[in-house]
Amino acid sequence: MFARHYKKHLSAYAHGALAPEEAARVAAHLAACAACRAEFEEVKLGIRLAESLPSVAAPAGLWEGIEAALARESNRERERAPQAKTLFPSRRRALTAAFATVLVALVAGGAWLYLRAQRPGWEVARVEGAPRVASSRIDERGRLRVGEWLETDSASRAEIAVANIGEVEVEPNTRVRLVETRLTEHRLELERGTLHARIWAPPRLFFVNTPSAVAADLGCAYTLEVDDKGRGLLHVTSGYVALETEARESIVPAGAACMTEPGAGPGTPFFEDAPEPFVEALARLDFEHDRASLDAVLAGARVKDTLTLWHLLPRVGVEERARVYERLAALAPPPDGVTREGVIGLDRPMLDAWKTNLEGNWLGESTPAIRRVWRNLWR
Amino acid sequence: MESVVLTGEEARGEAVIEACKQGDRDAFRRLFERHKDRVYSVALYFFGGDEATASDVTQQVFLKLFTRIRQFQGEAEFTTWLYRLTTNLCVDEQRKRRRVQQFGEGFELSEPRGRRAQEESLARSEVAHSVKRAVAALKPKLRVVMLLKYFEEMSYEEIADVLGLSKGTVASRLNRGHKALARKLGHLRGALLREEREG
Repeated sequence: MFARHYKKHLSAYAHGALAPEEAARVAAHLAACAACRAEFEEVKLGIRLAESLPSVAAPAGLWEGIEAALARESNRERERAPQAKTLFPSRRRALTAAFATVLVALVAGGAWLYLRAQRPGWEVARVEGAPRVASSRIDERGRLRVGEWLETDSASRAEIAVANIGEVEVEPNTRVRLVETRLTEHRLELERGTLHARIWAPPRLFFVNTPSAVAADLGCAYTLEVDDKGRGLLHVTSGYVALETEARESIVPAGAACMTEPGAGPGTPFFEDAPEPFVEALARLDFEHDRASLDAVLAGARVKDTLTLWHLLPRVGVEERARVYERLAALAPPPDGVTREGVIGLDRPMLDAWKTNLEGNWLGESTPAIRRVWRNLWR
Repeated sequence: MESVVLTGEEARGEAVIEACKQGDRDAFRRLFERHKDRVYSVALYFFGGDEATASDVTQQVFLKLFTRIRQFQGEAEFTTWLYRLTTNLCVDEQRKRRRVQQFGEGFELSEPRGRRAQEESLARSEVAHSVKRAVAALKPKLRVVMLLKYFEEMSYEEIADVLGLSKGTVASRLNRGHKALARKLGHLRGALLREEREG
């Protein structure tokens, strides 16, 4: 598998119109990629065919027509010259005003088109089917500019190059918009569908807005799904992702997942290999406010599920928080300096210190159990 | 008005343009003779072999050229200026005629009259005839870049300059044009090789 093909560069390569280093890359790729070699043969045939187009001589008599027209034009110029002086001033003013109006409209229209064309964008490659950018089908490659939507139907997939910091694969039935791209922030909006992101930039440069939370990259790879009702599922395969709203944040490490729901924001993260009853109970607690479900969550928690319990601390009432603390402390005792009172009182430095201490337990392998639970619950 | 004394191709070109700016009809004629076949070829292929339209557009190109030549400051290559004018007029004319004539599959190219003997031999070539039809069936935006590339032998940069496109867009359109020709005329690969072998 190649990360990149050069199918759109093949004519320029054949014509010697590429920079030397780019031509060398294409040559090396052609040596290794049978698909691009086949395409290159096709392009070369097209070039040979085009080169066989014969030039055609202009018919006789054209010059005479031009000369006659030039003579007519000269006569008209001579006749118009004195008439111009007799135009009524008011009519001239009206003509001038009309001309100015048209000119302003043209300049404004041209400026709008120019600015639209200058908007920054990311390269989009078609993977299969017929993805659309701004409602237009792209061929092998296209450009997604700020404000434009990329849409895939049930048979289409695409890949987006995220500036120079990563890439996003867009699955079928997905609608995604480029919101912003600048040095300090690159942001997509996922309205529905599925994307896989691989980001190799420093944390908090790449964001994905969804209807129920924002996924902030913390140096990672992840899959984000949004259904037709705006509910989401984040599954992290490496590094960390933060799922955020103004009121709530969930830190999701590799092997873990997190559901989101409009109005509620991100739920509590959990490891994907957690037992289904644990995940179902957590979903009821998060999104149905079923306090009785806390029992099942506490009972089913393993050492690595301290990820879930730590996130629950600020999300439950004081009485329940004490129960969460007890279970959490039983699974992984708090480090020195972190007290029961401090944790029940939601002392931020203490919570962070305990989290740092717990993170060693949060290395887990993913299983598809969560996917089944999520689909059973929401689909 | 005296005709210009010409020395060397480049100096001759500049001198002819300068003379045209002074209203020298002989210089106009000289400029016309130098460029008419290529302008006509572009227009003819752009309009799918419609000789009347190609003649009309060619005349319009040179009329506009002569009436505006004083505006030519030399900051752009003359050929760039000329072919920008040509392609713009082709596109304008096409818009006017769209309701009357559609491009596309099955459109037959009539045989051009000029240089009859040469054209008859070319028309006999299955490849040339098929390529004409296939080029006529290309989308106009692909057809224009192909014509500028293969009639004017323009570089990607020059085509980009004439059409106001990026070099990447030109490369992409040429790529699509080449592939469209190859897919439509793949069965001619053998005939093309035979022609190439026979010189």
